[in-house]
Amino acid sequence: MSDPVLRTENLTKRFGGLTATDNLSLSLRGGRLQAVIGPNGAGKTTFFNLISGLLKPDSGRVFFRDRDITGLRPHEISRLGIKRTMQIKSVFNQISVMENLWITRQASQRFLHPFRPASRDRATRERVEQVLEQIGMTALAHRIAGTLSYGDVAMLEIGMALISEPKLLLLDEPICGMSPAETERAVAKIRELARQVDIVIIEHDMEVVFGLADDITVLAQGAILATGSPEEISNHERVREAYLGRPEDEDYLEEAADA
Amino acid sequence: MIVFAAFLLTVPWTIPALINDFWVSVIAEILIWSLFAASTNLLFGYVGLLSFGQALFFGFGMYGVGIGIDQLGLSFWPAFGLGVAAAMAMALVSGIFAVRLTWHYFAIITVVFSLIFYFLAVSMKWLTGGDDGINFTLPPTFSFGATQWSFADPNFQYFFILAAVALCFYLMHLVIGSPLGKAFMAVRENDVRASLIGLNVYLLRLTAFVMAGFLAGVAGALFAFFGRYASATYMFYHVSGEGLVWTIVGGAGTLFGPIVGTTLFIIIREVVSTHWEHHSLIVGTMAILVVIFAPKGLVGLWRDILDRAMAPRAERAVSTEVRTEP
Repeated sequence: MSDPVLRTENLTKRFGGLTATDNLSLSLRGGRLQAVIGPNGAGKTTFFNLISGLLKPDSGRVFFRDRDITGLRPHEISRLGIKRTMQIKSVFNQISVMENLWITRQASQRFLHPFRPASRDRATRERVEQVLEQIGMTALAHRIAGTLSYGDVAMLEIGMALISEPKLLLLDEPICGMSPAETERAVAKIRELARQVDIVIIEHDMEVVFGLADDITVLAQGAILATGSPEEISNHERVREAYLGRPEDEDYLEEAADA
Repeated sequence: MIVFAAFLLTVPWTIPALINDFWVSVIAEILIWSLFAASTNLLFGYVGLLSFGQALFFGFGMYGVGIGIDQLGLSFWPAFGLGVAAAMAMALVSGIFAVRLTWHYFAIITVVFSLIFYFLAVSMKWLTGGDDGINFTLPPTFSFGATQWSFADPNFQYFFILAAVALCFYLMHLVIGSPLGKAFMAVRENDVRASLIGLNVYLLRLTAFVMAGFLAGVAGALFAFFGRYASATYMFYHVSGEGLVWTIVGGAGTLFGPIVGTTLFIIIREVVSTHWEHHSLIVGTMAILVVIFAPKGLVGLWRDILDRAMAPRAERAVSTEVRTEP
């Protein structure tokens, strides 16, 4: 259980003169809900992009359960069981909720049948209905995804990440932009999911992070500032200094990042 | 739908009775060009790739037939096969490069491919006949002993084209509803998300490109038999542009949109061009109006009207709200 589910070695990514992740070596243990926090521009989303293959690192390596996945393409990484949600919510906007889930489920098959009707696949139908229920969206199954509320889109995205039985779930600010009620629902859902699958979550809302996470990694300017349990982090002097001691205002956070 | 099918099946008798024989071949031509527009539609309407290069594959279909019969002495079916195979091979080769790109870069590279092969076809006189093209004598399609069927018989020609086009549309219908077709739509909607759910976006785009090459190739081969010649004129990207306009006006992303658009414009061309040489002004005006007022094309507009007529009053507000979303 203590084997790392995700490990990076000296991971570096630069955008022009900006170093987004700087020689990042971290190791995230499985079976625990891992959170990555840090001020804006700390390199959190870049870190996710490097893992999921949307970006290629300038140097360094990424290991998923001791398998080197550096440089694999996004769909190859996805097929290994690493699924993610995006900070800017990303679903298939012009088709229904159900079709979104349907396509996602069928995408995990090696062979896409070119002539048989997609709707005739009973196993997929059952799984789609199961996930609709799980994310509480059965009533919205036939709504066009682009017309959903922001919170529902976020929930759908989580459903899409779930439907193919992932081994590792990367959630990039899953509750950003949600109403308090939606947040509560999402947090409960994430906590429930964490019992079945390894989760790494990026989140800005400190209350949520400290309520959810077993381990927290704090990034600042592309490097690790601290790792530890929520208690250790909240008592960590440099983290408090850089981050937590100030009011949770974006401007202050940015100042802290620049300091 | 049934009325439409019944009409198509009785064209060789009803049309000469109502108008004249000439319109039977116009309808055959509409069918062929509808198939060509369907190839543009498969790429633009279902995978989100704006191709200005479909004429290239149409041209390869034509030349495959023309060169096959005229220079290699092939009979009907091998020549047909050669045309379609040549179109698909060309689609594969150009697709390997083109589908790495998207949007305007993709559109530009398809134009470039089209231009390169257009000028090659014009200059390689020994193979393609240059500007004059290739005229060939029709081989029979089927022959059993002394009885032969060939395109020389207008009825046979019409029904052969109808059957081939219907078969292609049926295949496209199957593909659209299949897991593969759903994956195409996922790529169209959001390619980043598509890759994150495990779809190989590059391979899917290439598959669609080759399938579109098949449709355009069949259309080109049919058109070669229909016109008894092959010419580089039909390889020019201007022809691709026409297919695109027919598709968009008819309704991109709908199976029958290309048929509607093609029918409309070819009828306009045939009727108006005898009286007025600037008939393309009408085409242009209509295209602009449709793009502005019915972005889903005429088929999309028709469906919206049907939905609105069917929807009970209470739901009407909701359904219009849904439709105005991008």
